Amino acid sequence: MSATPTPAHILEVRGIHTFIGEFHILEGVTVEVPPGSITVLLGRNGAGKTTTLRSIIGLAPPRAGEIAFKGVPIHGLRAHKIAQMGIGYVPEKRIIFRDLTVGENLLIAERDKGDLERKADFIFGLFPDLKRLYHLPGGHLSGGQQQMLAIARALVADNSLLLIDEPSEGLAPVLIEHMMEAIRQLSASTTVLLVEQNFQVASQLAERYVIIEEGISVHSGLMADLVQDKALITTYLGVA
Amino acid sequence: MIERTVYRTIDRIGDPALRRAAESLARLVLENWFYALVVLVLWQFPAIVADLSGSEVTPRRPTGESAFWQSEMARALVLACLAMSYNLLFGYNGIISFGHALFFGAGGYITFILLARVDQSYQQEALIAVLAVVLALAILTRITARRLVTLALGGVLLVLLLVPNTPGMTFYQAAALAVLGSIGLSLISGVVTLRLRGIYFTMFTLALAEMFFVLAKSGTFRNVTGAEDGLGFGDLLPAALNPTPTGDGSRLQMYRVTIVFFVIVFLAIRRYLNSPVGRVIVAIRENEERARTIGYNTFFYKLLTMIFAGVIATLSGVLFVIWATDKRVHPEMLSLKFTVDPLLHTLIGGVGTLTGPVVAALGLILGETYLRNETFTLETEVLGLVPLWQFAVGLIAALLILFLRRTLRPAIHRLAGDGGRWSVLGAYLALWIVVSAAGLVAGGQVVPDLDLQDEVFDVSDLWDLFLGIVFVIVVMLLPHGIVGTWNRFWITRRIRRMERALQREKAP
Amino acid sequence: MQTYWTNLTPQHRRSWLLVVVYVALLLAISWLDFGYNTAGQTVFRGILLGMLVFLVASGLSLIFGLLDVLNFAQGAFLLIGAYVGYDIYHSLDASVEVRFLAAIGGGVLLVAAIGAVMEAGLIRPLYERPIFQIVLTFGLAAIFLDFVERIYGRNPKQPLSPPPLLNEKFTLFQQSLSVYRLFIIGLGLAMMIGVYILLNRTRIGIIIRAGVQDPEMVQALGINVRRVFTLVFILGSALAALGGIALVPYQGATLEMGNQFLILAIVVVVIGGMGSYEGTAVASIVVGLTRAVAEQLSLEHFDAPVLAETSILLLMIAVLLVQPSGLFGRGE
Repeated sequence: MSATPTPAHILEVRGIHTFIGEFHILEGVTVEVPPGSITVLLGRNGAGKTTTLRSIIGLAPPRAGEIAFKGVPIHGLRAHKIAQMGIGYVPEKRIIFRDLTVGENLLIAERDKGDLERKADFIFGLFPDLKRLYHLPGGHLSGGQQQMLAIARALVADNSLLLIDEPSEGLAPVLIEHMMEAIRQLSASTTVLLVEQNFQVASQLAERYVIIEEGISVHSGLMADLVQDKALITTYLGVA
Repeated sequence: MIERTVYRTIDRIGDPALRRAAESLARLVLENWFYALVVLVLWQFPAIVADLSGSEVTPRRPTGESAFWQSEMARALVLACLAMSYNLLFGYNGIISFGHALFFGAGGYITFILLARVDQSYQQEALIAVLAVVLALAILTRITARRLVTLALGGVLLVLLLVPNTPGMTFYQAAALAVLGSIGLSLISGVVTLRLRGIYFTMFTLALAEMFFVLAKSGTFRNVTGAEDGLGFGDLLPAALNPTPTGDGSRLQMYRVTIVFFVIVFLAIRRYLNSPVGRVIVAIRENEERARTIGYNTFFYKLLTMIFAGVIATLSGVLFVIWATDKRVHPEMLSLKFTVDPLLHTLIGGVGTLTGPVVAALGLILGETYLRNETFTLETEVLGLVPLWQFAVGLIAALLILFLRRTLRPAIHRLAGDGGRWSVLGAYLALWIVVSAAGLVAGGQVVPDLDLQDEVFDVSDLWDLFLGIVFVIVVMLLPHGIVGTWNRFWITRRIRRMERALQREKAP
Repeated sequence: MQTYWTNLTPQHRRSWLLVVVYVALLLAISWLDFGYNTAGQTVFRGILLGMLVFLVASGLSLIFGLLDVLNFAQGAFLLIGAYVGYDIYHSLDASVEVRFLAAIGGGVLLVAAIGAVMEAGLIRPLYERPIFQIVLTFGLAAIFLDFVERIYGRNPKQPLSPPPLLNEKFTLFQQSLSVYRLFIIGLGLAMMIGVYILLNRTRIGIIIRAGVQDPEMVQALGINVRRVFTLVFILGSALAALGGIALVPYQGATLEMGNQFLILAIVVVVIGGMGSYEGTAVASIVVGLTRAVAEQLSLEHFDAPVLAETSILLLMIAVLLVQPSGLFGRGE
């Protein structure tokens, strides 16, 4: 496992099997994320993309297989331990804390005191809206603002990997542009593993892709190649 | 084994009609022989006890083992019925009500208030009330004329049947009215409460039952309910149902009536669960949202189950009063105890199993009676105070380790190394010894001061504690209860056997 | 203040109005019916009761909000606190002040320890089986009650005398009262404000409030949410024990008081809305006032003590009919 001192991949997921209750959701998913890249998980609804992210962060621990972050095995650790190693998680459906103000939503993500203060310029530079809404309860924000807050929250602590689940889901096209721009900017400093249904967004953002089909990772490679390969896209993603 | 032989023999029958008949008969016998055996044993139970103890089945005076155990067994069976009705709600429909005692108490109270306190005829008033309701329905709702007429006729018929035009009604009429009252109570409380979600429903039912408990206990209504003393009814029972006189065998007769009631309740619940309605209520337990989207009116099915369980609880309440030792309807019947007991029986026996609540109710109630009847002397000379203390510490240490095993697992595995299962066991054992020793050393100073010499133990003192500990252990370690675990054991065994058979077939 | 109001959902604004109208109605009825002085005494009694109930109910509400466990052992915690405090008070050989403080400290610490062990050892393994948690606390409550009965006996304990400073008399609405009653109200208020500050002004409070909504997400942010669970459970148990000890100089200790206050607390939490802190605080006062006014009403007019006992249950039923998830609960 720890044979190589500097692993080629910041995150290595090898053949994980994950169960939710009695249901075998992931039946062998392998994902490799090189540092500094944007990698996207593609696949149909219910293929197991979200479960893959939840397995990595430890909310749905895999029963078999291995996950290594910076060469250190993390499968089987409790979620907060995994997060503390430097992984930020942005869940789908923009789960923010509705009863907390925007400020509190950000403060709760601090891992060391003063994290927010240190990162304030960066975060509010990416999402200027949040500064204006600082004292408003999270539940009062619009969908796009909530999504920004969810991403901003993952940026407060020093994370070297961000897991972002469906950032464009349910957003207006203008907001999607904004979101993509923000993700592109933050990928300059962190690695991103993305789940994205919208193939347009995915193909413009990501450099690498992994296709998951019925709980198994069936294909992976460079996004530039996938865009050329119409047959592959039709087979697995159903987009023309 | 036998099963297979029987069905194989039946398969050889040539005539298809005959074969089908034989098959259904075989299924009836094979699926029910065990229950039939149990009923037979229950039926002969007084005689068995009499033989074992050398007492009479129908003694002249109300003494003797057999007479005593008849009433205890009857009481246990009645409470088993209550537990089954609770299990129907909780285990099969997923409704967690903390107000089940309300229906149980309603049975006793309505029946005996009608018998003891009503000394004039209310037939006219009842008829007027029925007509008023019908009139209100006609005006306020868009009910069809035919239904209206049916309702009116049915109501009038019920009143004529159940409310006599002379003062005083029979016990059967009063009990039937109690059932009607229970249905009404279910309807009213169900319409109000079933809208509430989860914990709010539970709390609401708890408050409702508590309110009636307080009302029954309060001195304000002493002339109706008898307040804290309850309602004595002594000679109001018909002779056929009165278990008190013992010389003429009426206790035995009532005991058998109770068995019949128990069997009917059991079969009714089983029938209900095997009907299409039963499948819907289990679906509601699993996922109410989904059941609703399929197109079932889940509210209606939940209400139906509530009414059904309520009626069973009501009738159990009536029988319970008949068997009560002091011949009284007591406010305790409305107290939390008669919600908690069936809940305990359901949990310990197995949530959502048909026989679980019965097993637990009979076992716990009869066990309690048995232990309460004995006095145990703790002879410090023989047993010694110190060993007892050591035993207690050891037990507590074991339980502690058992409960904390998730937290302890990493440490244990580090201790055990890669030695496999036996060294893990050894590590646990070592931990147990260390913890016990620590407990003994720490408590060593305290114990010799305790003065506990040849003490006579009254079990009634310790029973609740014992029950509580059994309960905690079952909740923590046997999540499916006794019968549920038993069932699972056999099912997994069968599945394994089938898997092995499949593998053998696959292998050349 | 203004931002608080604008940040409220319409449903909660309506609840606030309902509460204000209802309390005003209660006050008006008691003033018109009992006269100025008796009304004042009644309201004072109501607030006192409300504060005591709050100590039990706030723990119940906090624990339910975060852990989703309805802790039926809360009443037993009050009971243990009361009896152990009583025991410590009488077994120490020191000045009254020291004994009183030791009683409070000892009772609270012991119950906090019991709470910690209970959460870590018994409740935690059952997080996947929520119904069993409720049932387990139910069973544990019975066991605790049994233990207290076994150790301290069935007989009620006499009220113990608080330090002389708190034992002085003062006159309010022409009634001579012990300062100790003011102390209880002060204690309740202090806890109310203290927990409010804890929830709203500290990091741990932010975590608790976030955990009420989504513990999983809190954990995914790198926070050990289980430890916060334990902490909240300890805090809730300690508050109940504090209430128990505060009760002893006021009305002594009986085995029944655990369940009495548990029922009151459950009513309060349901009326206020499960897991809502402000709801619990408001509902405590409302329930206390209702109970006191109903008691006084039945005393003066109906000669039916049952009215007082059923009044709060009726109140709860009424609230649930109007607002099925409590006054300040989150409608689903």
